Amino acid sequence: MEAQELIESYVDDVARRLPRKMRNDVGLELRALLGDQLTATAAEAGREPDERMAIDLVHRFGRPDDVASRYRRRSFDLIEPADAPLFVRLATVCVGLQWAFTLPALFAGTTTVGAWWVSWGLGALAWPGALLLWFAAAAWVRRVSPADPDTGRRPWTHWIFWLPMSQDWQPAAAHRPGPREAKLQVALAALATGFFAAPDWFLGVFGADASWAQYDADFRRWLLAPLLGLMLVRLVLFAAVVADTRRRARTETVRFGLWVAFVGLLYWSAFAWTIFAAPSTDALFKAWLSLFLIVNTLQIIVWLRRAATRVRAPASFE
Amino acid sequence: MVATRDANAQKLETELRRGVLVLAVLSQLRTPQYGYSLRQALAEDGMPIEEGTLYPLLRRLEEQGLLASDWRIEEGPPRRYYKLNAKGARLLDELTTNWRGLVKTMDRLLD
Repeated sequence: MEAQELIESYVDDVARRLPRKMRNDVGLELRALLGDQLTATAAEAGREPDERMAIDLVHRFGRPDDVASRYRRRSFDLIEPADAPLFVRLATVCVGLQWAFTLPALFAGTTTVGAWWVSWGLGALAWPGALLLWFAAAAWVRRVSPADPDTGRRPWTHWIFWLPMSQDWQPAAAHRPGPREAKLQVALAALATGFFAAPDWFLGVFGADASWAQYDADFRRWLLAPLLGLMLVRLVLFAAVVADTRRRARTETVRFGLWVAFVGLLYWSAFAWTIFAAPSTDALFKAWLSLFLIVNTLQIIVWLRRAATRVRAPASFE
Repeated sequence: MVATRDANAQKLETELRRGVLVLAVLSQLRTPQYGYSLRQALAEDGMPIEEGTLYPLLRRLEEQGLLASDWRIEEGPPRRYYKLNAKGARLLDELTTNWRGLVKTMDRLLD
């Protein structure tokens, strides 16, 4: 192949990877530039341009895909670099958990490799896809609504701002819930606790047939009281935090401990007990409860991770 | 270990040069230049730049509205010539002032 032909073939390969609008223009310019370079190299060597010279030149210039990406406008990050490690960890944990929970059936011989692979095995790969969508949406929001340099707030999500957690901290008045909002929060939490205590009674007040909402007798006898107790203590602490408008480290730690105990009890209830007497209500509630438990488990993991990754001075600093 | 240190030193030097790349390119475009002639001019003044870096950079600077370009047929094949426009010239003045201040600061720090 002649040196010039080789250059043209290379330029075509670069141009093919460029947006249609700039393809011809960049291609023409690149051809002229590489031609100039080749002529100069040949002049230095004191001979006519040859294939070897052209190959060396385009190798030095770069692979066509690299060169094309240099010509493109700066692309965006599908996932923010700061989120990438969390994405990888979450995707790995989700896929790993799905496989860990479903592989025992394969080893026990209740399913075949093929059947497992086309259901749970391959299906686990939906997790990275779902997480990708989530993180990409977060990156998109950040990209289209850059934070105000003075306040650190974004135009669309101005109510989301950084707050210190788990420390003796008094938020600025503008960041605190107003007294009416605080009372409403506590009232709603109290209502939810009351509803959880006796859903059939609550529904009966409105004259509805609530037989489907009755707890199983064993659940009511053994588990309802501890669950309600934990909810009430958490409610009192929540009211104290709202009234005090402070996040005190000790209160937060106690609230976290109660939360973990509550979630633990709910896991036990969901997997080892019948919660509602009516089978259909029980199945429906447990489906919702599973989702609630997944979200809460993730939140607990995040809380623990934040606690574990605090910056601590080494002993030699003291 | 020595090889790693050398590679690191080279990488840091490349980073340092990359930081002044735009200023170096803008400084040479007060008069029209095409890609190859610009590269030669920079290399002769001690600022060699890989062609694979320089040519796309010219395009990006043009897209940012700092350069004007046109195709010309003078000696040899048609070539695309680039030149600073008014916005590019203002930016060059601004960057030059910043650069001079930075050099003074760095000199103080390094002495």
